[in-house]
Amino acid sequence: MPAPTAHPPTLARLTRVFLRIGNTTFGGGNPTMAALRREFVDREQWLSEEDFALAYSLARVTPGTSVIAFCAASGAKILGVAGAISGVLSETAPSAAAAVLLTWGYERWGTNPFVRAAMAGTAAAVVGIILSSAWILMRPYFTAKIGKAGRNRTLVQAAGATILIAAAFIGAWRFGFTPVPVIGLAVLVGLLWKDDPQ
Amino acid sequence: MNVLLLYLLFLKATLTSFSGPSSLPMVRNDFVVHRHVLSDRELNIAMVAGRAGPGPNGLYLVSVGYFIDGVPGAIAGALALITPAFLILPMMRWLRRSASHPRLRGAIRAVVLASVGLVLATALPLARDAVTGAVPLGIVVATFLLLSFTMVESAWVMLGAAALGLAVKLGT
Repeated sequence: MPAPTAHPPTLARLTRVFLRIGNTTFGGGNPTMAALRREFVDREQWLSEEDFALAYSLARVTPGTSVIAFCAASGAKILGVAGAISGVLSETAPSAAAAVLLTWGYERWGTNPFVRAAMAGTAAAVVGIILSSAWILMRPYFTAKIGKAGRNRTLVQAAGATILIAAAFIGAWRFGFTPVPVIGLAVLVGLLWKDDPQ
Repeated sequence: MNVLLLYLLFLKATLTSFSGPSSLPMVRNDFVVHRHVLSDRELNIAMVAGRAGPGPNGLYLVSVGYFIDGVPGAIAGALALITPAFLILPMMRWLRRSASHPRLRGAIRAVVLASVGLVLATALPLARDAVTGAVPLGIVVATFLLLSFTMVESAWVMLGAAALGLAVKLGT
């Protein structure tokens, strides 16, 4: 655990931490939130363990990208609305600018045969990335680690999950359902199929 | 395309998804299938641009916005990406306990699972476009395995895939 330094939080200090962690941590939301926890809870002690847990769990149920919601919540706990805005902008703006630059580069050099060949490779990688994100999203519902008593529950959950995934897939692919009605139906199903904490 | 409309369409996608790529089906449906302002190829490039560096999931929206309307479009994408995050501020006040309510958890679980089905359906047309032979198929499988079961960064995978694409070109 890093040694506590306990500077009082200022907007400049908070923004520096968000910029440093948010734009250098690869691997998406969870590693970023873990790195921010080290800074905010362990090192600077700006955030209590309970506030971190609340921000983390609410971020998972907030629509959109979890880690951005987490930055809003932890920034707000530390410095109010200014902290929330600092967290959201520091986490997103630099990497958004990088995405624009890459897109611009493609528009400029995209007809070059060598660039096209390289992009053909990455186009295939994107399909792998999409399949992997689907797997990572569904994995927790198929591999819940619970004791013997809960095995039937796990099986029921896995069966229900399979049916839901297959129904959405077939609805979209075979019958051309657009995402909004599929998501709406899923909410109704989910309200009936309660998820009791284990 | 009107920037405000662009923002609202992006916002519809981010407000109804619970992780970066689960907004993809809605984005493809609105911009590729319905309004024809984006091609599958550009959507694919946007995914590359969004995943080639560090930063949050969902950055591909910024790149999609840039393809459709230049810098104003990119800003519309970035704003739609961050807008839902601010919902957490009132939620921290009012939802302290409800985050673990069985019905709310059930609804979110169902939305996530339905998103998986939608994401898989979206992968099909992109795969038809990208998988043109044995090498691209190998890249799809290798990317899936590396990102699902190891800690390798997606940026390295992307770089490796680009290098393979170049090697195939130089070899022919």
